[in-house]
Amino acid sequence: MTSDTTNDAFNDALARAAEAAAPSGGQVKRKYIGRSMKRVEDPRLLTGRGGFIADQKIAGLTHAAIFRSPVAHGRIVSIDATAALAIPGVIAVVTGEDCRAKMNPCMNFGPSTIPQYPLAVDKVRYVGEAVVAVIADTRYLAEDGVDALDVEFEELPPVVNPFKALEADAALLHEGHGSNLAYERSFTFGEVDEAFERADLVVSDTLHWGRSAGMPLETTGAIGKPGLNGVLEIYCNSMNFSYFVWLIATALKLPSNRVTINPVPAGGSFGSKFTAHKVPTLAGFLALQVNRPVSYVEDRLDHLMNSDHHASDRYYEAKLALTCDGTIVGMDVDVVDDYGAYLQFGVGTHGNALSQGVGPYNFNNLRYHLRAVLTNKCQQGAYRGFGSEVHNWVLERLVDQAAEKLGMAPEVIRRKNFIQPEQFPHKIPGGNLYDSGDYEAVLDKALSMIDLEHWRKEKKRLREEENRYIGIGLVTTQERSVFSSTEFWYWFDEPAFPITSSPESATITIDPSGEFQVLLHSQAMWGNSPETVAAMVVAEEFGVEPDKVNIRYADSAHALPGTGPGGSRFTVMVTGAIRGAAKKLQKKIIEIAAHTLEVPPEDMEITDARVQVKGAPEVGLSLGEVAATAYFFALNLPPGMTSGLEEQHTYDHPLTTLPSPDRSDLGIFYPIMGHNCHIAVMEVDPDTGMTTWLDYVAVHDAGTIVNPITLGGHVTGGTAQGVGTALLEELAYDEDGQFKSSTFLDYLIPTANEIPAMKLGHVETPSPYTEYGIKGGGEGGRMATPGVISAAIDDALREFGMHVQNLPVKPSDIVATVLAAREQQKEQRS
Amino acid sequence: MKPPRFAYYDPDTVAEAVELKARFETDAVVLAGGQSLVPMLATRLAKPDALLDINRISSLQQLEVGPTHVEFGALVRQYQLETDPLVARNVPLLAAVTHYIGHVENRHRGTVGGSLAHADSAAELPTAAVTLDAEMVIEGPAGRRVEAARDFFAGWMTSTIAPDELLVAVRFPITPADAGWGFVEVARREGDFALAAAAAQLRLDEAGRVSEIAIGLASISDRPLRATEVEAQLLGQLPTADAVAVAARAIEEQVTASDDMHATHSYRRHLAATVTQRAVLEAVGRAQEGNRS
Repeated sequence: MTSDTTNDAFNDALARAAEAAAPSGGQVKRKYIGRSMKRVEDPRLLTGRGGFIADQKIAGLTHAAIFRSPVAHGRIVSIDATAALAIPGVIAVVTGEDCRAKMNPCMNFGPSTIPQYPLAVDKVRYVGEAVVAVIADTRYLAEDGVDALDVEFEELPPVVNPFKALEADAALLHEGHGSNLAYERSFTFGEVDEAFERADLVVSDTLHWGRSAGMPLETTGAIGKPGLNGVLEIYCNSMNFSYFVWLIATALKLPSNRVTINPVPAGGSFGSKFTAHKVPTLAGFLALQVNRPVSYVEDRLDHLMNSDHHASDRYYEAKLALTCDGTIVGMDVDVVDDYGAYLQFGVGTHGNALSQGVGPYNFNNLRYHLRAVLTNKCQQGAYRGFGSEVHNWVLERLVDQAAEKLGMAPEVIRRKNFIQPEQFPHKIPGGNLYDSGDYEAVLDKALSMIDLEHWRKEKKRLREEENRYIGIGLVTTQERSVFSSTEFWYWFDEPAFPITSSPESATITIDPSGEFQVLLHSQAMWGNSPETVAAMVVAEEFGVEPDKVNIRYADSAHALPGTGPGGSRFTVMVTGAIRGAAKKLQKKIIEIAAHTLEVPPEDMEITDARVQVKGAPEVGLSLGEVAATAYFFALNLPPGMTSGLEEQHTYDHPLTTLPSPDRSDLGIFYPIMGHNCHIAVMEVDPDTGMTTWLDYVAVHDAGTIVNPITLGGHVTGGTAQGVGTALLEELAYDEDGQFKSSTFLDYLIPTANEIPAMKLGHVETPSPYTEYGIKGGGEGGRMATPGVISAAIDDALREFGMHVQNLPVKPSDIVATVLAAREQQKEQRS
Repeated sequence: MKPPRFAYYDPDTVAEAVELKARFETDAVVLAGGQSLVPMLATRLAKPDALLDINRISSLQQLEVGPTHVEFGALVRQYQLETDPLVARNVPLLAAVTHYIGHVENRHRGTVGGSLAHADSAAELPTAAVTLDAEMVIEGPAGRRVEAARDFFAGWMTSTIAPDELLVAVRFPITPADAGWGFVEVARREGDFALAAAAAQLRLDEAGRVSEIAIGLASISDRPLRATEVEAQLLGQLPTADAVAVAARAIEEQVTASDDMHATHSYRRHLAATVTQRAVLEAVGRAQEGNRS
C-alpha cells in the first residue's frame, strides 16, 4: 500500500478480494484461456441469421413512427391528428398527454426535478425530441401519419451554449428544477492549493471535447406485446435489462412480475444501448394503448437525433502542477459538461473520470469541479469510455504541454511519473484503487515496436528537404474496468438509491448426454463476444471443446441477478460467474464419480471432459457417463444428492467499498485497471489540413488475456472510434439549436480508409482480484487515440503554434492556425 | 425513413419518358442510378407524385467514340468511365475524376446522366464537364437540343433541363494527345463530397508556354465554375511553380460558398487556391512528360 489512508476495513476488503480470486490448486497452465479463438457468434452473423429486432416476426405486429420536434425549445400548443387518423391503416396516435395520464416518468439517475417521458409533455427541449407516436399497419403508413400531423409550437428562446445557459437571464429548460445548472459539485483530494503554490511549473489549458457517439449499424428498437396473464412482453436490443426491468415496470405502472423483457441480439452498441430504456418503455406503452403488438425501431434519423446516446460534450479549464524535474504534484480540473436536455445517467460519466483521475501517474493532489448544464440538445448517454476517455485526453494534453516547456521527450516525462509495479495495489486521490500494473513494461514494449529515432530524424529531413510536416505523438493512459454502481450516486450526499450491487450470473447445465449449455442472464449478444468468452471458460474448466458449448440467454422472468455489459466489465464478471458455477458443478461430478468408482473424491480431477483418478487417468468416467447417472440413476447417486447436473452462480463485484459519508473518500468503485501506450506518426498538410498516417503502435495491458484476437479487435475498433472523435465525428447544433448532423452525410464515421494500419502489442499484468487475473479491455483504443492524435498534430505543426484544444480538430481549424501564423511571420518580417 | 406513396413508371423508350415528363412536369422525378434520389425519397426531402425509372431504356446505355467526341448515354454507369480503357485513352481526365465519386458501390449504380442532372456543385462529373467543355444532349417534346456544360449548370442543384425534358447523353471532346491533365480533390473522408476540387487540362507550346488551359472547380460556389482569371493569368506564360502558385490565388475571389460544418468560407478560399495550384502543376507535369516522349 502506498496510501496513507489505510484502515482495517479497507485492508480486509483487499484481503478478501485477493483470497477469493486466488488460484485453487496448482492449475496454472491453461489450455483455452489465452488462445486466439474465432468467435462462436460469427457463423450466424456472417450468414445473415443474427436474429435482430427488425427480423422478429410476430403475428399482428403493428409499427410506430415518431414525430420529432422541429424546434429546439418550445411549448406544445396543439396536436391535431385528424388527418393522420383518416389515413387507412393508421391505428392510433399517442402523445405526451397520454404518457402523463397513464404512466410515471421514465427511470432516471439524475435529479427528480428533471423528469422525462418517452414522448414530450408540455414542452419540447431539443430538435428531434419525440413528440407524437403514430401506430399503423406498416412503417410506411406510420410515417405517412406522422407527415399528416399538425403540431403547433410556441417557440421559446433556444439555450445552446452551456455558459450562456448558466447566465441569470437564460430561458429555463426545466422550470421545476429552477436552474439550467443540473448539478454542481467540487471534490478536493489532498492538498491541491499547496501543491500548486509549491510547484515550479504550472501548465494550464482551455479545452473542449466535442459531442460524438457510438454509431452501431443497428439502431435501438423494441417490440411491446400484450401477453398472457396480463404480462407485457417486451422484445428489445437494449442491454442491462435484468438490472432495470423493474424500473420500466414502474414507469408503466405495472407490477414488475407483469413485465418480461426478452433479450434480442443487438447489432452493436458501443455504449449506445447501455440501459437504453426509453425505446422499450415507449414500445411497451404503445402496445398497452392499442392492445396489440407494436414495433418501434429507430431509423437513422431517429437514432442520430434522439437515441439518448450522444456522449460527453465538455469544456475544461485544467491545470497541472509540476516540479522542475518534471514530477507531477497536482491537477486542478474545472469542467462544464453540456449534458443536453435531460440527465438520465446523472453524472456517472464524471465518476468514470475520477476512477482514473491521476492517470498512470503517481501524484496525490486532485481537485475536480463539475458543473452539469442543461441545454436544448439531445441528452447524453453512454459511449465507449463513458467519460473517462475525455479525462485521459485532458491529462495527456497537460502532460505534453509540460514536457514541451521542460524540454523533455514525451516518453521521458511519463516514465518519470509512473506508479511503480511494487506500489500496487495503489489508492489514488479520490479513493479508487488500482489493482496492479507495470506501466514501464507497456511503454517499453511500445517503444520496441516503433523506431522513434528514425521518425525523429525523418521529421527533420522531410521538413528541410521536402517541406513536409510530420509529427509524433505518444500517450500512456488508463483503461479502468469492472464498474461498481456506487459511481452513479456518490455525487449526492443523500442519494435516492445508494445501490452497491453490480453482480453477474451464469447457469451451467450438463444435459443427460453430457453436452453443455450455458445460460447468461443480463443481456443478449451486443456485438461483442459473450458466447465465445463463456465457451472458453467452460472449456478451460471442463476440458470440452469450446464450440461444443451452447450459449443461451435468459429472459427477465428467468434471469438471475445481473448488471450487464458496460464499463468493460463483462469478461471479468461473467468469467467469475461461470467459474463459480463450474466449481459447484465440478464438486458434484467428482462426488458422483468417486461414489461410482469407490475412490476418495480428493483423489479425483476433471481433465479433457473426463473425471479421473489423479495419476491414474485410466480409472475414470466420461462426463457423459456421470451425466447419465445424475439424471437417470438416482439410486446410484451418493446419499442425499438430488438428480440433475445444473448449477448457477451469482458473482458479485470483486472489490468495491462504500464512499465515506462526507465524500472525502469515494471508495473503491473501478479497481480493475488496465493501461495502454499509443504512439502515432502522422503527416499533416498545412495547406489542406488533411492528415495521413505513417505509423501507429498500440500496446495494451488488460491483465490475463482471454482471447487475443477479440482483444485486438477491441483495440482496433476503439482506435477507429478515437479517430472519429478526434478528427471527424461531430454531433453539431447551430446557434438556434438546429441539429446539423442528422445523416451520415454530415456525421462522419471513419472508414477503413481513415484509420491507421496498427501494430498491436500486449502486456499481461494479472489482476490479483479477478478469476484468472483478467482485466476488462472492451473500451480499447478510444481511451488513448484522441490524445495521441492531438499530440502528433501539434508536433507536426509546432512551428505554426498549432495546439489542439478542440475536438474534433477539423481541416479548417488546422489551416486557420497555419494561415494566422504565416500572416504573423509576414508582419514580423516587414 | 420510408418514402411516401408514388406512382411508378418504367418507360422503354426516350419518347415515352419525355411524354411522361411532359405529363407530370415538376411532379415527377427521374430514377437513374438512384444514389442521390433514393436517400432523398427515404428522408422525404423529395415527395414526387411519380417516379420515372429510365433504367429500361436501352438507347441511353451506349458509349460511342466518334471522331471528335466521346458520347455517353445518360445511363452509362460511372464505373464504366473509371474502368473502360476507351475512356482513359480518349478522355483521361474524365476517367481520373470518376474514381473520386463516392465509393465503388455507388459508382456501380450511379450514372453519368444522373450525376450531371443532379447538378451538385461538389460533384466530380459536373466539374469535369465544365472543365472539358462537354455538351449536354437534351430531349423534349420539340426534339433534341444541345447545350454547353458551362451554360447547363444554372444554380444550386439546378440545371437548364426543363420539366418536360430528359438529359439523354453527354459528349466529351477527345483530349489532344499532347495535353496534360490534373485533378486534386480534398474531402474529409475518402468518397465524401469535395470540400474543394480542381480539374485542370492544358497544352504547352514548343517553348514550354501554356497554349491552352482549362481549370474547373468543384464545391466553391452554387455550381461548378471555370477558373477564368487563373486561366487568363497562365495563358501564354511559362508555368513555373511560382507562377502557378501566384495565379492560383485568383480563384479565391470566385469562392462564394458560405461556412458549413465541414469548411469555413476562409478555409475554402485557401483550399480552392491550393487544389488549383496542385492540379495545374500536375497537368503541367503530364504535359511536359508528354512533350518529351
